[in-house]
Amino acid sequence: MQSSSSELKNVFLKQKKKTRRQNFFKGIMFLLPSIILFSLFLFYPMIKTFYLSFFLTDMAGTPTVFVGLDNYIQLYTSDIFRKSFISTFLFVLYIVPSSIIIALFLAVLANEKLKGVGLFRTMYSSTMGISVAAGSIFWMYLFNPSMGLLNEALGVIGIDSIGWLTDPDWALIAISLTTIWMNIGFTFLILLGGLQSIDQSLYENANIEGAGYFRKLFQITVPMLSPTLFFVLVVTIINAFQTFGQIDILTKGGPQYETNLIVYSIYREAFVNRQFGPASAQAVVLFVIILIMTAIQFKFAERKVHYQ
Amino acid sequence: MSIPLPQKIILYVLLIVTSLMVFLPTALAFIMSFMTNQDILAGNLPQSFTLDNYKYVFENFPMLQYLINSFVVSIVIMIGQLLLSSLAAYAFVFLEFKGRDIIFYIFIATMMIPFEASVIPNFQTIRDLGWLDTYQGLTFPFFAMAFGTFLLRQNFKMIPKELREASLIEGIGDFKFYLTVVLPVAKTSLITLGVYGFLTSWNMYLWPLLATTNDKVRTVQIGLKQMSSQEQLNQWGVLMAGSVIVVIPTLLLLFLGQKHLQKGLTDGAVK
Amino acid sequence: MKKNSILLYMALAVTLILAACGGSEEGNEAEAEGASGEKQTVTFWHAMGGQAQTALDDIVAGYNESQDEVEVVAEYQGSYDEALTMFNSVAGTDSAPTMMQVFEIGTQTMIDGGQITPIQEFIDADDYDMSNLEENITTYYSQDDMFYSMPFNSSTPVMYYNKDAFEEAGLDAEAPPETYEAVEEVSRAITESNPDMKGFSLQAYGWLWEQLLANQGGHLLNNENGRESAATEIGWTDEQGLSILQWVENMVNDGTFANYGTNGDNMAAGFLAGDVAMYMQSSASVREVVDNADFEVGVAFIPHPEGTKREGVVIGGASLWMMNGAPEEEQQAAWEFMKYLQQPEVQAEWHVNTGYFAINPAAYEEEVAVQAHEETPQLQVTIDQLQSTTPSNATQGALGNFLPEGRQVVESGLESVYNGEDIEAAHETIVENYNQVIEQSNAAQGN
Repeated sequence: MQSSSSELKNVFLKQKKKTRRQNFFKGIMFLLPSIILFSLFLFYPMIKTFYLSFFLTDMAGTPTVFVGLDNYIQLYTSDIFRKSFISTFLFVLYIVPSSIIIALFLAVLANEKLKGVGLFRTMYSSTMGISVAAGSIFWMYLFNPSMGLLNEALGVIGIDSIGWLTDPDWALIAISLTTIWMNIGFTFLILLGGLQSIDQSLYENANIEGAGYFRKLFQITVPMLSPTLFFVLVVTIINAFQTFGQIDILTKGGPQYETNLIVYSIYREAFVNRQFGPASAQAVVLFVIILIMTAIQFKFAERKVHYQ
Repeated sequence: MSIPLPQKIILYVLLIVTSLMVFLPTALAFIMSFMTNQDILAGNLPQSFTLDNYKYVFENFPMLQYLINSFVVSIVIMIGQLLLSSLAAYAFVFLEFKGRDIIFYIFIATMMIPFEASVIPNFQTIRDLGWLDTYQGLTFPFFAMAFGTFLLRQNFKMIPKELREASLIEGIGDFKFYLTVVLPVAKTSLITLGVYGFLTSWNMYLWPLLATTNDKVRTVQIGLKQMSSQEQLNQWGVLMAGSVIVVIPTLLLLFLGQKHLQKGLTDGAVK
Repeated sequence: MKKNSILLYMALAVTLILAACGGSEEGNEAEAEGASGEKQTVTFWHAMGGQAQTALDDIVAGYNESQDEVEVVAEYQGSYDEALTMFNSVAGTDSAPTMMQVFEIGTQTMIDGGQITPIQEFIDADDYDMSNLEENITTYYSQDDMFYSMPFNSSTPVMYYNKDAFEEAGLDAEAPPETYEAVEEVSRAITESNPDMKGFSLQAYGWLWEQLLANQGGHLLNNENGRESAATEIGWTDEQGLSILQWVENMVNDGTFANYGTNGDNMAAGFLAGDVAMYMQSSASVREVVDNADFEVGVAFIPHPEGTKREGVVIGGASLWMMNGAPEEEQQAAWEFMKYLQQPEVQAEWHVNTGYFAINPAAYEEEVAVQAHEETPQLQVTIDQLQSTTPSNATQGALGNFLPEGRQVVESGLESVYNGEDIEAAHETIVENYNQVIEQSNAAQGN
């Protein structure tokens, strides 16, 4: 009896083990394509970037001289990189809150049940369909010193022209304006979707209680929208750190490195100046910044976010 | 509950003013693309309507080739992303195996690795594979997509597990179940993800800038950048015509898919 | 389950093959062209935009029609910087061109990069006579009695000025200012007579900095501009560097300076729109500017500080490089095209349609050149300026593979002065950062 029972158990265990192995194999099969591509184009490059950041390289990017932490020390002492670092943070500060507040305002407006509101929604979301290259050209015209619309408009109200893209005090603001405009479409769309999924009965109850417009906005809308806002916040911040196209077309990092945001700086250091080692060190810095920012956001915002 | 009239008027005024502000740069570009350069330079209102700028763009730049390249690249990326994301999402939802959760968290963590930070080795990889100036070089690195996997996973979760068990008992394998049941049920999410993937691929800038050197594969965005540096004396009409050609496909897609996108992305983001 | 995974992989394989098709098709195409033996394709990368591109495209089309052995495909790759960036990225791969136009300060980079075949090899094999080319140009492009690249388009910076504006301000339009001080004075007069027009604009462009230094005999780099031995730091004196910044600062303070930053296109457009009366730029756009202006355009030598002797200018522009990755027949075909470009009638056409020199002086005897000089005497100025240059290490130009990066440093420094920064501090930053660039570059080469 005893032996047959344990035999049975053995067979059972073996069978279970086999199933488990099969399941594992099957699971991996489904995941393999993604895993391979992630490894090839994400994990391996990440490691390689760390590796390269300890070297100087030849023109093709092959490491030649091991320099230890020198590339990082250079970054730490470099005025240009410090400027790039500060500009990047300023840029994030300029665009993230404004993008979200403007888009939220528009989404609240467009969420009213009015005739023809669909047309306005389409117009608000339109900037999502406009590529960085095209959007930058639109704004290149608006910023043009001799005939751009912005300076013409300033002239009408009697204000001196601004060197939008050439004055170091204005260039980063000009780039920010362009970027906020480009962000509006996507941010608006997501926030509107969030607004529409809020349970209408909450508003009906509030109406019965006689709550005013702003009380409803701050006591129902914003709290119920917080998960969506959180998502939008994360996405906007990460995108802001990765800004490239508008800089390449509008300012090339100038004037005086004012708009030399970190990704542009990496691009220039690596592909224009052929300094792959120092460029990799910058890429590592970018990676660490994004990691820290995301971690902070999840730690603080997650707690306060109101999930349905 | 209907809105009182004065409030309605305020709302409409706000809607009109803000939407005009948001739409102004785009509208200007459309108008300028039909204006003569003299009118633009003189700052006149359009005096006449001309298609010359468009004619100039198509005659002097391989615009059609750029458009075809962008279509091929965007569609291939879109299909690749849909396929890989749905396969992975299926595994995360329906298959139970050791290490699944760990792998899932690793997938999610990849969202935090900016592609831009790893662009140097990626470029070297593509170069060493001989994939510069090829469609595979432009598309492969973007097939695996954590956000897509995540979004589809949320959607697949709504399919009852019992359905799969019943199918398995009937002898329908996982792959067939995935093809015949899961994909059709998740059609809406797949469309959302597809539209999103197409839009972002069409608008890619840094990677095609690095990975293409000739007009045979150059995408429309890089073509536009070339155009803007080539036209040195501020041929605004021509530049705007080029930009309009570039944005029309995505604007159309956006208008058609707006509802899908809005709902699909919000669901994926929050639930 | 096995069946499942097989299915799965088939599906995946189909996508991969589909994706791969795009690429392999192109390979086939290229091979087919080569194999059919009809025409040898030569890929030619260049950086000529605007009117110069039209002129170049015409020349290429003319060449392709003139014979049926070689088909030259000219591809625009953006500015000189962008084109060189692109090339460095793809050097050694199939994407690299057969031949390429590279600006003068990329010379050392190209030699050090090891991706090129010196054209001296073709000159020797062909017994080609280089002596009929302009001497100033051949000395610039030969090192150790060897030609690494084929000179093609050469220009010098000139000062463009609006003659109508000069007259309105009561100035002599035929006597453009020659010194920094004179430029300042003229600028004041112009802005006074027309408050909407600024006097002078200097694009924040490293090349112009190099020219302004050379014109007062300054060296960009030490060790005789890097020509005696590899440079270890910058070569100009504080006095020379500051003279330029001081000049700019004076005009900024006078309110006569128009700041277009690093954007040369906007500067040219501003000049044409009457926003600024004088600016410095390459002679290469003489034709384009004269054709597009609705006023009388004057072209003059670039200025120098009072009390210094005018030394002249460094030859700017670019030369053509042969890539060693191309098969021999392809290189040979490219060589044929390079020789075609040197012919007097081609050079004459090139010269009159742009403003670049004819590197083959015989071109000036061609009917089209003689006629153009009568109609557009401004084209003559650039030739005179080059021929009156004193040959020295200053006007021969600097050598170093970090020069493009150094320009970024200078440009940023110039912009800071345009925007009111103290010139001593700005100068110090330029010197410091430039030296660091040199140091880093030397370190990467293990020196």
